[in-house]
Parts: sequence; C-alpha cells; structure tokens
Amino acid sequence: MNIARIAGRLATEHPSALLKQSPTTLFVAVAAVIVLLAPQLVTSFVATVVGIAAIGIATVAAVLVTTRPELVRFALLVPAIDFVAIGFLRYGTGDSASIFSALLILPVIWFAAEEGREHIWFAFVGTAVVLLFPSVAGQSDSSTLSALSRAVFASAVFTVAAAVINELSRQARRRLHAVRSLAEERQSALETSERRAAELAAREAQLRGAQRLFQGLWGAVTQQAVIGTDVTGLIDAWNPGAVNMLRLTADQVEDKLHVDAFHLSGELEDRARELNYPAGATVLNPGFSALVEQARLGCAEVREWTYLRGDGTRLPVELSVTARLDDDGETVGYLFVAHDRTRAHEVAKLKDDFVGLISHELRTPLSSILGYLELMRDDDDDELTPTQLQYLGVAERNAHRLLTLVGDLLFTAQVESGKFNLETHMQSMAPIVSAAVDSAQPAAAKAGVNLTAQVGGDGLVRGDSVRLGQACDNLISNAIKFTPSGGNVTVATSFESNRVVVSVSDTGMGIASSELDKLFSRFFRATTATRNAVPGVGLGLTITKAIVTAHGGEMSVASEEGVGTKFSMALPAERVRV
Amino acid sequence: MGRAGTPVVTVPPLRVVVADDDGDIRLLVGIAVRKAGLDLVASAHDGDDAWALVIGMAPDLVVADVSMPGMTGLDLCRLVRAEPALSATRVVLLSAAVDDASRQAGLDAGATDYLIKPFSPRELADRLVQLATHIEARL
Repeated sequence: MNIARIAGRLATEHPSALLKQSPTTLFVAVAAVIVLLAPQLVTSFVATVVGIAAIGIATVAAVLVTTRPELVRFALLVPAIDFVAIGFLRYGTGDSASIFSALLILPVIWFAAEEGREHIWFAFVGTAVVLLFPSVAGQSDSSTLSALSRAVFASAVFTVAAAVINELSRQARRRLHAVRSLAEERQSALETSERRAAELAAREAQLRGAQRLFQGLWGAVTQQAVIGTDVTGLIDAWNPGAVNMLRLTADQVEDKLHVDAFHLSGELEDRARELNYPAGATVLNPGFSALVEQARLGCAEVREWTYLRGDGTRLPVELSVTARLDDDGETVGYLFVAHDRTRAHEVAKLKDDFVGLISHELRTPLSSILGYLELMRDDDDDELTPTQLQYLGVAERNAHRLLTLVGDLLFTAQVESGKFNLETHMQSMAPIVSAAVDSAQPAAAKAGVNLTAQVGGDGLVRGDSVRLGQACDNLISNAIKFTPSGGNVTVATSFESNRVVVSVSDTGMGIASSELDKLFSRFFRATTATRNAVPGVGLGLTITKAIVTAHGGEMSVASEEGVGTKFSMALPAERVRV
Repeated sequence: MGRAGTPVVTVPPLRVVVADDDGDIRLLVGIAVRKAGLDLVASAHDGDDAWALVIGMAPDLVVADVSMPGMTGLDLCRLVRAEPALSATRVVLLSAAVDDASRQAGLDAGATDYLIKPFSPRELADRLVQLATHIEARL
C-alpha cells in the first residue's frame, strides 16, 4: 500500500460535511414527497414547512463548509441545524406519533462520530431538545406522562447509541492512526532505502571512476618507480616506472622479492650506523629498517640512494618513503617512490666541470696578463712614460674587472652547487663595516659621492669576516655606482632584536618598484642601471644575498625612483658588552 | 732588483725547477725566480716531464702548477715527499682553484706553500726569498 492509496482511504474516512448531510437531505426530501402525497400526516403545516426549509439551510451550510476550508470549524452547525429542522418536521407531522422521528439518528450519528466524548453529550442534548421540547413547552397534544417517558427513553437510547458509535469511531481512528503511522514508517523506510541505493550507486560510480583514474595514473607514471611493500618489505606493487627503472617485471618481483634487494648493502649499513642500530639480531632486517626508519616514525623521508638493477648496473635515485596505513591508522606497509637522479648528477658534474673550466681557463690567462703588466710597471731598467703608465693602468683596471667577474661567477657556481663554505668565528661587525667604508672612499671621491659611516649599535656575529666584508663592499660599491656626483651614500649599523643591521642608503637614481622583487636574481639588471649605462653584470646582489642567507640573516631593500635606495642586511648577533 | 728587494742569498743560489703547462706562466715564474736571486735550472711543461727533471736533478725548490696534463702538481708533490733522496726538496704549488679544500689538498700533499692564480710575480719572488732564507738557515 503506497501513501497515495492511504491518502485515498483517509479521504473517505473523513467525509465532507456535504457527504454527511446527504442522507439527511435525501430522507427529508422523501419526507416532503410523502407529506405532499399524504397531507393528512401534517398536524402543523408551518412547523413542517419550517422543518423542511431548515434542512435546506443546513444543506446549503454543508455546501459552504465543504467548499470553503476556512469555514470547516463551523461544520457541526450543520447537524445542529438538522436537529432543529427534524424537531420542527417531527412536530409538524404528529410529534411523538410522527413517522419521521427516526430521522433523528442521522445528526446523532454525525455528532457521535466526531472525535471527543463531549460530542456524545451534544447528541444527547440535541435529541432531548427535539423529543422533549414540544412536551415541555406544552405545545404537544400528547403531553402525557407516557409521551414524556417515551421521549426520555428514546433520548437515552439515542445517547447510548451515540456513545457506542463514538467509541467505535475512536477505536477505528486509533487503528487508522496506527495503520497510517506504519504506512508512513514503511514509506519513510522505502524512501531511505531508495536514497541509500542511489547514494551507493553514486559511490560505486565514483569508486569506479577513482579506480580508472588510479589505473591510468599507475600506468602513466613511467619515469618514477613506485613500489609498494608490506611491513616486512616484501614487494606487493610494482608500477611501469619500476619496470623501466629496475628492468624487472611485476611478475618477477611481486610477492617474491624484498625491496632492500635493490639497494647497495653498504649504503644500508651506513644508514643503519647513522641511526645507531646496535649490531646483532635486535633488528630483524637492519637494511630494510634503516630504509623505512623515518617513515615508520610517521615522517615522509626523501633521501638519495643507489639502486642496484636486476642486470647488476647501478642507478642514483632520490627515494621518497612513506608508510601505508589501514583504517585504524596502523602501518601495513610502505610506499617507495624513486626518481632517477642520473641526469641531475650529470648536470651537477657539468656544473663542477664548468667551475673548473672557469677556474683554470680564465684565471690562468689572467695570471699572465696581470703578471706581465706588473713586470712592465716594475721594470726599473726601462721606465715607462706617463702616457704608457696611463695605458697600463687602463689595462690593469680592466684585467682586475675581468678577475672580479670570474670570481663572482665562481662564487655563484659554488653557492648553487652547495660548495660554499664559511670560516666562521665570533666577531664584531663594526670593524668590518668601517674597513669596507674606508676601502671604498677612493672610489667615492673619484665619483664625487660623499660617503659617510654612522656606526651606531654593534653586535657580535658568528660569521666569515671575508665574506661579510665582501657583502659590505658589494652594497657600498653599488650605492656609489648608482649615485650621481654630489650625492650621498650613508652606511649605518644598529642593533635591534638580537640582530645587527647594516644599511647602505644612497641618494641615487633608485629602482622601479616593479623590479624590487627581482633584484637578487642572477644577472638581473635594473632598468635604471641599463638606462644610465652603470657597469655590472647583475651578480653582486645575488652574491650579497647568498652570503647574508648563509649567515642566517635577511636582506631587504626599499627604493624610490629618482630619490634613492636603501639596502639592509640583518644578521643574527649578540649585543657587544662594553 | 725591483720591489722584491736585494737578494740575501749567497752563492751558490738555490736550484729551482718550474713546472707549468702554460708557457707564459712558466716564463713569468722563471722571472720571479730570478728576481728572488735563485737559479732556474730547468722548466717542464707537464707533470711527468717535471718528475723526470726533479728525480734527476734533486733541486732545492720546485714551483709547480696543480693542473697539468698527465701527472698533476699534487701527484708530483706526493712523489717528491715519498722519495727519500728528495727530502730536502721543497715544493711550491700554484693553482687556479680558489676554494679552501683545494688549498688544503695541496698542503696535505706536502707542499710548503700554495699560491692562487692570478699571482703577483712580486709576491711570488718575496715568498721564494723567504723560503730560501728559511732553507739556508737550516743548512
């Protein structure tokens, strides 16, 4: 039984006022016909007509109550009018002798069927009024004790009948309510079931989609080896990348080999020693344990290893190891994702070769150039003319420029290859800054720039004095280069928040704000530099930042085009105690 | 005698072998050697040639480039140090490598001094004078 059918049932079980009124109207119509055919039944013409007319009014009221939902609360007025109408009809057709007394049962049933025991009393009152009113009012010709008794008895019978009907209706309603609740529950369960089935179908579709995506990805990863193992290292997943990289098929390794079989035992032993594994049998498989140590502790680990292929050849890889977890978060295995580092190693070697090439092939000819220029200058036997000395100075200056450029290139390459070492010790920054300012004074004077030092707060920095001096030199020489004659360059130091800050401010040409974030990139030259033909290749700030970063410090810059620029380097420091 | 100052070396001057694959540098080093008042007895253009000269002549000083074809300056230095007959021979290395590790490798190989290219001939001559003084003081 679906909800629509139940609703249909409910519609008939709660009939409209018009439907309930229909039998009364029908029987009164029949009574009217009988009265017309047998006028001798009429004892009061007026009462009879009033009674029939009142039924008409009740019927109209039933129509209104049925068709106008807002009037439904007045529905019980209809059987009340019926009581009055039947009372008149009964009175007009012989009172207690009227053949139409039985019509009273119809409004009684109406009232009795309504929910609530108070309606029994409404039925009783209605019946009593109809049956007793003529006798009580003395209008009846049969106002005898027997007629009164008959009326009282009939009222009692109608009332009992009303009570029985009311109780039966109540039980019927209760059963109906129970049935309706069950039906609703069933319908709700059905809808829930249908919804869950739809959700399940959607999730199955998602799962199938995810499986297709995973299969696609698994097959598409051909340049990285993805290897899955259980907690003992026994391989249970082997992607096409692993096939390419290690030259064994999935059938050859899955459930047959452990992942540490592809590692050099020496590397695994070294790692086990790093992890302070005790020698002996305390670790079941020290090699595999060393491999997954970090992943087992919940940290993803990326480390360089050497893979040993099935054919015995070796391959440098960057290996990421992560734990595979079950629904409870327990480790059930590990995932190994390996990236071939052969090319990266080749590039690193090329870079090293390049550094070596610069070192030897550029610095060696520079040795000859500078050495022989020096010999010419130092030749006491054949002294040079002032003009020759001037030309020699130009050659020497440019040879030194070239040497500086070679040094910068070398330094940049060293920074990139991670071979940039610092010889650090605790030292005060003020002497380094003062020395840099002093050494830059000749260049500043030549450029017509007023170079001043404001060494205020000082700090003890753990650093490489040569490199820190180089950083100061770079910033000061930059400031001088970018400041027109007559301008000022100020070098200041201060101590704030456990850092010593060295700032170099100039009143130079400034830098466009859109270029500030690129200033520290290799070979970047500001538009103002190229526009004003300021010499340089764009490595000085890169090197300066690398030095400051290597000391745990930070570089910052503020500039306004046409106004000036301020570079600051903040280095971790301890306050100098006087 | 230029800015290297007046040589303090007495006769006979210390005997020096120079080894560098770059002829211009060999010549430059030779000039510095003479400025220091030392005796340039031979020049070699590679490590193997230098070793043959050194083992044959047992000079007091060898000034050698680190990067040479064949035997490197480091290898040459190790051979000199390993040869008992050359226990008095001192080696000065010249290198274009600027990093500290390279310098340390040179000193570890047994070099007495290590100069970075480009070097000043004047500074090289000064160093050779100091070294000669030191050697003669021990004789």
